[in-house]
Amino acid sequence: MISSPALMIEARGVEKWYPNGFHALRGVDLCVHQGEVVVIMGPSGSGKSTFLRTFNAMEDFQKGSIVVDGIEISDDLRRIDAIRREVGMVFQQFNLFPHLTVLDNLTLAPVKVRKRPKAEVERQALELLERVGIAEQAHKFPGQLSGGQQQRVAIARSLCMEPRIMLFDEPTSALDPEMVQEVLAVMQELARDGMTMVVVSHEVRFARKVASRVVLMADGEVVEVAPPQQFFTNPRHERSKQFLSQIS
Amino acid sequence: MASTAPLVVRASPLRRLQKELFGSRLDGLISIALLAALLAAALGFFRWALFQAQWAVLSANSTLFAVGRYPVEQQWRLWLLTTLLALATGLSWGLLRAFPGSGAVRALWPRNDRWAAAILGVLALWRPMALQLTLAIQARWWGIAGLLLLARWAAGRYGPAIPQAFRRLIPLLWPLLYLVGMVLISGGLGLVQVPPSEWGGLLLTVLMATFAILLCFPLGVLLALGRRSELPLLRWGSVIYIEFIRGAPLITLLFLGQNILGFLLPGGLAPDRVWRAAWVLTFFAAAYVAEAVRSGLVAVPAGQLEAARSLGLSVPLALVHVVLPQALRVALPATVGQFISLLQDTTLLSLIGLLDLLGTARTVMANPMFLGKNAEVYLVLAILFWSCCAALGLGSRALETRLNPHSPSAPQA
Repeated sequence: MISSPALMIEARGVEKWYPNGFHALRGVDLCVHQGEVVVIMGPSGSGKSTFLRTFNAMEDFQKGSIVVDGIEISDDLRRIDAIRREVGMVFQQFNLFPHLTVLDNLTLAPVKVRKRPKAEVERQALELLERVGIAEQAHKFPGQLSGGQQQRVAIARSLCMEPRIMLFDEPTSALDPEMVQEVLAVMQELARDGMTMVVVSHEVRFARKVASRVVLMADGEVVEVAPPQQFFTNPRHERSKQFLSQIS
Repeated sequence: MASTAPLVVRASPLRRLQKELFGSRLDGLISIALLAALLAAALGFFRWALFQAQWAVLSANSTLFAVGRYPVEQQWRLWLLTTLLALATGLSWGLLRAFPGSGAVRALWPRNDRWAAAILGVLALWRPMALQLTLAIQARWWGIAGLLLLARWAAGRYGPAIPQAFRRLIPLLWPLLYLVGMVLISGGLGLVQVPPSEWGGLLLTVLMATFAILLCFPLGVLLALGRRSELPLLRWGSVIYIEFIRGAPLITLLFLGQNILGFLLPGGLAPDRVWRAAWVLTFFAAAYVAEAVRSGLVAVPAGQLEAARSLGLSVPLALVHVVLPQALRVALPATVGQFISLLQDTTLLSLIGLLDLLGTARTVMANPMFLGKNAEVYLVLAILFWSCCAALGLGSRALETRLNPHSPSAPQA
């Protein structure tokens, strides 16, 4: 018998209240196995970004448990740092460091956090930039690149830490339409190479083509988890049908 | 490539001036009246400066203005320090030109530098002469200016040949020089002690200003970070400190410092009056620098810290490599503005009885020999302060462009 792929993220009964009392997550469960691509969808305010951000402890939560790559998230800062070293994150607003060149954006964390030799990291960074198709921009500053190029740099920057899991928080929402494809293509290739990915996104075509499972969240709860084919053609829940009719 | 931009016909400067000053009949009348008033004032000033003013008050007291009552037989230490400073300045200047920031064009002698060198040469030749210094001392100034320019030339020419490992140590020259300077000025390590009460004039002013500027900056950054900390004790401590200092006039704090430190610390431990004033200046400026830096911190989007943290950088690493470089660039103009007012605030030291430039001026003018020569002294003092502040301002603007290589105006590689 083939053993099932390792469990990379295991979230159980996660509940979060914001300081103003808003109940953002109401007991959410999710398991992500190695090599899976999970796309989380849902209306705005449904808690999908908040949920994603709990996986690398960018958001805290009050109840439940999350185990990432065998490490349980707690208040212990050293554990949080250990998790963040293994989990890459790509943001809606790219969040590149504007005062550093593209190359320095990539090499900063591996050199300062992992203490790897700079020359070696630079070689790896150039390879990664080649992979996302912008090697020739290595010595420019982020402000000189288009949005799509910046987001691809942001992906390469995360990959340079050699993460075992990648989180994407609406990676194409801030992009002009003609730049969405170039970013999705990079993500698709990443998925093909076997990266474990959790993606918050509204890109239906990407989800259909790449996702292992689609998760629909609404009002801080998981409504439906299904393979993309089933989710988009034959959703079981009323809330899912309603959401799909709104975005198509 | 053919330019497609529309051709803009620009009027000659003379035509534009004519249009601005004499656009209508009323404009013309106002312009003529103002020009006449300006001309009269300028004439009056030059008549006074050339024929009535007696500059002897300055040449007779030039040593007093420069170093106060610093013992004559120890003044070689100050000459040595000046020479070292000139060498370090020339070296840094040349290396800055040999290694311009990314995006800038490398030019060994840009036009501004040729101007600066020319002005330096003229000052070195004319100033000692105008002050009627002895020929030996005039020669020293020529030598120092010559050394500065020589170091500038050599560093620009041969700087790139210095091995990189060694070159990276060169900025450390400045803190080292500061320590050497303190020893040279105050004594110790085999040199005769010269107590702070004998320092004065420009020496005291520059010493107080640099001491306070160098220390208030890190202190201000820490206070600004403290004010935005999540730890309540740290945050409230910083807020109370900053608001207390900003709510009190410097002069009261200076008097308070002179009196209260004596009560608070046992006699032997309380620093000398000069150092008490230096610390008060430092703590005072730190509160204002903290506010400038805080405005810079606010300007850095929260996503920057998030992105750095998500890459596994600890908070201190994220602050040092991501947040502070961006925040300090935003805060730079306001911070340098604070340094400039700090330099000017050193004149308040004369009110607590220290002989800084202004204090020296007041004692000189109280001397019966030089009664009524206030205008001459104050004019020179004003020019001296103005040139120091202008230099600080120019330096800050150069630093801003150097730190901002990816501004929209930078050439696209």
